[in-house]
Order: sequence, then structure tokens, then C-alpha cells
Amino acid sequence: MNQQFRVAQKIGLMFRPGTAIPDDIKTWAISQLHSTSPALGIESILSKVETWPQTLQPDLDERAKLFRLLQGTYLKNREIKNTKEKQAKDHQNKIKHSMIKKDELKFAHRNVYGNDQIRLRLMSFWSNHFTIGDVFMNEALIGHAMEEAILDNLNGSFSDMLYKVTTHPGMLTYLDNNYSAGEESKHNIWCKRQVDCQAGLNDNLGRELLELHTVSPMAGYSEADIKQTAKVLAGWGANQDSTIDDLKGYGTTNHWDMYKTHYAEPGNKTVMGKVIGVGKGGLRQLTDHLASNEYTIMHISEKLCQHFVSDNPQKKDIDFIANSWKRSKGDLDQIHSAVIELVINSRDDKFQWPMNWLFQVIRLSDASYFHGWGSVHSGSKNLMEVDQVFEELGQSFFSERQPNGYSSHKEEWLSGAMLERRLRFASAIHKVGRTKSSPEQIMDRIGANMTTRNLVKSAGQNSNDRFTALMCSPELMGLKSV
Amino acid sequence: MSKYKLTRRDFLKFSGASLFLAGLPIPGYTKDKPPGNISVILLEGGMDGLTAVPPYGDPNLMKMREKISPTNFKKVNPFFGLHSSLRNFTSLMSSNNASVIHATSFPYIKRSHFEGQNLMQGAGLSPFSEKTGWLGRALDLANVPGNALSLDMPLILRGNDDNDNFYPANIKNSSVNTSLINLISKAHDNDEAEIFSKLSHKSSSSSRTPRDPVSLAEYAGKEMSKENGPTASVIRIGQFDTHANQVGAHDRQLKIIDDVFAGYKRGLGDAWDKSIILTLTEFGRTVAVNGTSGTEHGYGTAGLLAGGTISKGRVIAQWPGLSKKDQFEGRDLMATLDYRSVCAACIERSLGLDHDLIASKVFFAPKLPRLYDYLFS
Repeated sequence: MNQQFRVAQKIGLMFRPGTAIPDDIKTWAISQLHSTSPALGIESILSKVETWPQTLQPDLDERAKLFRLLQGTYLKNREIKNTKEKQAKDHQNKIKHSMIKKDELKFAHRNVYGNDQIRLRLMSFWSNHFTIGDVFMNEALIGHAMEEAILDNLNGSFSDMLYKVTTHPGMLTYLDNNYSAGEESKHNIWCKRQVDCQAGLNDNLGRELLELHTVSPMAGYSEADIKQTAKVLAGWGANQDSTIDDLKGYGTTNHWDMYKTHYAEPGNKTVMGKVIGVGKGGLRQLTDHLASNEYTIMHISEKLCQHFVSDNPQKKDIDFIANSWKRSKGDLDQIHSAVIELVINSRDDKFQWPMNWLFQVIRLSDASYFHGWGSVHSGSKNLMEVDQVFEELGQSFFSERQPNGYSSHKEEWLSGAMLERRLRFASAIHKVGRTKSSPEQIMDRIGANMTTRNLVKSAGQNSNDRFTALMCSPELMGLKSV
Repeated sequence: MSKYKLTRRDFLKFSGASLFLAGLPIPGYTKDKPPGNISVILLEGGMDGLTAVPPYGDPNLMKMREKISPTNFKKVNPFFGLHSSLRNFTSLMSSNNASVIHATSFPYIKRSHFEGQNLMQGAGLSPFSEKTGWLGRALDLANVPGNALSLDMPLILRGNDDNDNFYPANIKNSSVNTSLINLISKAHDNDEAEIFSKLSHKSSSSSRTPRDPVSLAEYAGKEMSKENGPTASVIRIGQFDTHANQVGAHDRQLKIIDDVFAGYKRGLGDAWDKSIILTLTEFGRTVAVNGTSGTEHGYGTAGLLAGGTISKGRVIAQWPGLSKKDQFEGRDLMATLDYRSVCAACIERSLGLDHDLIASKVFFAPKLPRLYDYLFS
């Protein structure tokens, strides 16, 4: 495979036919870090690529309202005795008020049609690092967090991104921080005097902030550090089912800085030796402290290396990322540039995640395999609905899942059933995806190696077989692309 | 909480559940069949043993968790009760087909889900040290080739060279052609070549396998009851990490476990008599309730075992007590029994391996105590 495509496979999503292929891959890749783009997609399967309509991209205020309407309407629909009628009403409710499937389709469209391929891969990496699983209460928030806490913060510091994600209502809901109240908080003291009132700390987010998002268990923090972290976090977040007026009382900027002073733990806290001040500003002191911790740098440098460069990264490569992290004081542009440099120079293969492979297959062949946004909730005879596609793939950012996210290791994704799905998706994309490039055109464009060419040739005259053979070749799956 | 709060059940998707069948004999492969079969129900998130099997005879229970401890449990003896969601399990226990091990855990005390889950499946001496799983190693020692029904291959079953998996796909307009797969396999190297090659020998099934845990259990039971059926199965159920509103959430999840046991029994039919089914979770939860009507990550928990191989319905425990000084690190139920011993006994019973061999080769712990007699004789 040409160097350009090899790099685009490892840290991008492949060049769509008709897009220029850069001569200087490094300059191009670095410039991609700033190549922001609105969400591109299609309204219907035959329409041209354009920007996603604003009406389908509501802000947090609007999402909070929609969620309340979704819940309220479901409750109302429970009264309906006729099952068919209830199902129809529930379906309408989803179309009007539910965001999760729209956001999942927008994510798929972005990845298929976007020209910001490296940024999209970085968005996926960080969205997986900061996993926000579907707990229903945050169904309207997962996609929002991916775009506005992750994608919009790719050019700042890790510390900024960490703070934005930690305080995003999607994360605060997913890891149960919304109701957490300091042991000595006003709310807790008030609550103790009531009958049947319960309040107090919840350490779920605090624990994962240390274990998964920053320093990792390597740092050897104690149970007391976790508790102190939970105390710093107490007060952050508001329930999605609060009234709009309540929500307004807790925050000022579009629900993102929801902080309930009466849930906060008074006094200083100490996390891993660092004294954290009282009040809302304490969290930023903590996330800044964690972001610059040596263990955080090593933990995430290794993860970046493992995801983009090699399943078994070498110490010197991890150090290369860590050094650029330290030199730049956690500047993501510098960190990502270091990753790009490693990707360009590395000879290691990197088996691609199911979802990235799927996007790459669709892009290389210029296929249309996802519904347009005009029919996001309606199935069709030929195309699967977006959530079904990801469920079959065994990988979705919009599913219920554990906070440690998906593994970047090949062995987690290599099984008969997983590979059978790749064969079947390749075959289905060719059958119903209106592919516009033939296997031969694709191979010429990417500079396919002899193994791939021989494989496609041996697949014979059937074009579906030739297409499937190409897309499931070692080269196109990332198993042998050097 | 506002009146608009919906229960999770309305939206509960079972996508988190998956089934793994292992130990399918390969045709033409002659070997004595193992004496029984073994099924593991993986409970992800940390199942609360004090909710599932409340030690109501311990005066500290209500002191510590008045707000969340179940009250309408079924008394099984003067000290322990069974949660009301565990109806099927309760009746199995009264017919001497189920037992509980309490105040138990894998020896892992650091309360991370991901380290804990890795250990409960890999059973290494430290997290992430093992690339294979205890059940996979046991099947390998018993010389039973494996075949898993799942999309991925869980760590617990890895370790058997003959492992393979299948999970009928549900992808519109797709077809696979075995001679094509054969060609593709030849173009690949390493593990992937072998996996593609095995794939080309299978008839591509388009049957819709159910995906909810109870139907999966029944299906697994049926498969295991067949003459040449699998020897082992694993079902994974998530959502036990109840940091908030534990009562409703654990009630529902325990009901799923209970229905899974019943599903197995239905599916197994007569093969129930040589079966053992056990639960496995990464840790228990704190004794005290946290501020959001939930509990935090803890240590000791309970294990539920059922099957026709169980000799007596009882709760087996060296009860550590629940007072603050008896708790592990002043917060968790202490684990006084090593749950690896329970797993080892189940392997011994179902696969016919010797305890010392299991202790040293499967769990790398030659001195692991033998619990067999408490469970099976």
C-alpha cells in the first residue's frame, strides 16, 4: 500500500475517491489536526453530501427539554391499552424526542463523509478513553460529549479536555455523580434531619477519574485518595429529570457547569499529596494536577501508542510521545503530532477496529451504506438501521458498556464470529451500498501489494467475491500493510 | 427524584448479555466424555452478596444498611435468607439442588472492576498477568476441544488451542461463500489464517440465536444436553455496579440470574443431574450504604451454585461478622473463603480432573484448599 494510504489506514479513515492524495504525508497529517469540519452527511441515500441540519444538532438546553419530553410521553403512552397503538405512539415519541440514534447516525456519517479524517480518529480514541456508556438517563448526551467535549477540544491541552469531559453532564450522569453529596454538605446535614431522606458521597466517578482517565493503578493511590477525589467532585452535576428552572439555578452556561453548592463538601481535600481548595474551582485544580502527573503521561502515552502504532509498543516509542507531552506541557497538538510521526515511521501492522475498518471500506469504494438523516428511525428493505450495524459489528459508542472502553489489542477482536462479520459486511456493502469504485480501481489507487492482487484475482469473476476478498485481505484489515 | 423517573426496565436492552459454549467434541475425536458439564454466569460490576443472600441473623446488617437491605427475603436457616427475586433458586435449594457460598471472593482486594474482572477470568496471581482463562486451561487439561458461541472469545475460556467460536450473524443482504473464505485464509498468516480456515469449514448458519440471557441459558442447556454437545458454557450479565439506587437495580439483576438458572434447568432436562452452574463476580460491595442509595466497590460477596450435582442445599460460610471491626478495611464484607476453591471443586466434579492438578495448573496455587466435599458429597 502507498505510504499515504498506509498512514490513512492507521490514523485516518482512507481517502475517498475524488479527494486529493497529498505528496507530503507528514505535512498533510499535521495540518489535518486543525482541519475542522461541520458534520457532513446525507439526507437520503441518493442525495448529495451536505452539512447536517442544525435542527438535528440541538444544544444542551434543548437536549434537556427533549429528554424530559421523551420521558413524559413514554409515561403517557403507558396508559394506552391497545398494544399496536402504543407501539406506534412510542415510535413517534422516539422520532420526535430521542437523540441517541440521531447522534449515532451523525457519528457514522461524519466518519464516512468527513474530510477531517485524522480528527475523527482522534475523537474516537478519546471518546473511548473517556467512555460514556448508555444509561438511558444520558441518552441525549453521549453524542454531544463526543463532539463538544472531545472533538472541539482536540487543539487545546489534555488538561482542558479532561476538565471538559469530567464536567460534561453525560459523564456526570453515567458515573453517578449527579446525586453525590459531601458528607458535611448542607444538603447532607439537612437530609439527616428528615424522615426517609438519604444523601452522601458516591465514589464512582472519582474512582474512574483516577484509575481510567488519568494516573491508573500504577500510581499506587489509596482508597482515601479515591474518597477525597469524590469529595472534590461532590456537587457537580444535575439530574436530567430536574425541572428547567432547577437546572438554571445550578449552572450558567448551557448546563455544562452544573454545580450545586449545597451538595459540596466544605474544606480542603488532599488527593495524592496535593491540597485541593474548597468550592467549584477545586475540581479544576485537581484535574490540572492529575493531567500533569507522570503516571498519567505514561499511561496515556502507552494507550495512544497501542491504539495507533502497535499492539506491543516499544518503550522508546512510548517515551517519544511522553517527552513531547512533557515538553509541551500537555498540548494535544504536540502529543498528536508525535503520534503521527510514529505512525509514519513505524513498520508495525495495526489490525483495525471493526468500526474503523467498516468506515474505510465504505470510503474506499464510495459506497452509501447508512441511511440518510431523513429516515433515521425507519428501516428499509436493504439497509440495516445504524444501531443494528454497530451492534452486529460488536462495537458501538452508543451502547451500554463498561467505563474501560474497547481494547485496542488485536486478540480482543480476532475470532471466527468477528471475522465472519467482516466478510458479511463487505459482501453487503457491495450488494446494496451502490459502490462506485471497483476492486481493481481501489487496488490501483492504494497501490495494493501482490498478495492482495493475487487474492482478488483468484476470487474469480464474481464481483461480490472480488470485493469481499479485497476488503478482507490482510492488507485492507491492517494486518499486513507495510 | 421527580415523578418522571422511568425504571430502567422500560429500556433495558439485553445487548450486554452473551453466551459462550465451549468444549464441543470434534467429530471423529475419540476420548472419554467428561463426567459432567459446567456453566459459569459472569456477573459484571460487582454483585452485592449481602443483598442476594442477606445474613439477617447478624444484628449489624440492619444497623449498617437499613435503607437498602431486603425485608421480604425467604429464610433458609436461622441466619441467612435469600432475596425474593431468587424464587427459582430458593426452590432449587429446598430440593437440595442449590447451595450458596458466602463471604467469599477471588483473592483480590483493590476494588477495580477491570483488574478484578481480569483476575476472576484469568485467575492469574496478579492482574493482567495471564493471557488465558481458568476454564480454558481446565478444558485443555481435560483434553476437551472448545467451541464458543459468542461474538468475541472471553478471557475465561481462552487457553485451549482448539478453541473456536460462532455466533450467527444477522446482517441483511450478506452472504458468505466457503471457497472464497478458503482463498482468503490462504492469503492470511498467523492466527487469522487459522480462524478463516475454520470458518470455511462451517456451514454458515442463518438461524436467529436469541440474545437475551434467559433464552441464551435455555439454549445453552439444550446444547449441553445433547450427546455430542458442549461441556462448558459461560453467560455474561452486566449492570451490577449499583453505586446509586441499588434496590431496584439489584432486584432486577437478581431476577435475571434467577431466570437464567431456571432457563438452564429447562434446557438441560435430564442432563441437569450431571450439571453444575456457578456465578462469578469481581467483588462484593461495601457494607455501608453510600449517599446515593447505593454501595461502593467492596471485597467479599456470595456465590450461587445450582445443578443436580449439588448434594445438599445450604449456605456454606465462615461468617466473619459485619461489625466495623470485622469488616475488611473497616468497610467491606471480609472474604473468608477463597472462591477459587469453589471453582476448583466445580472443575473437579464436571471435568473429572484431580484437585492438585487443578490447583497447580489451573490456578497456580498448589496449596489451594479443597472444598469438594462441602459441595458434592
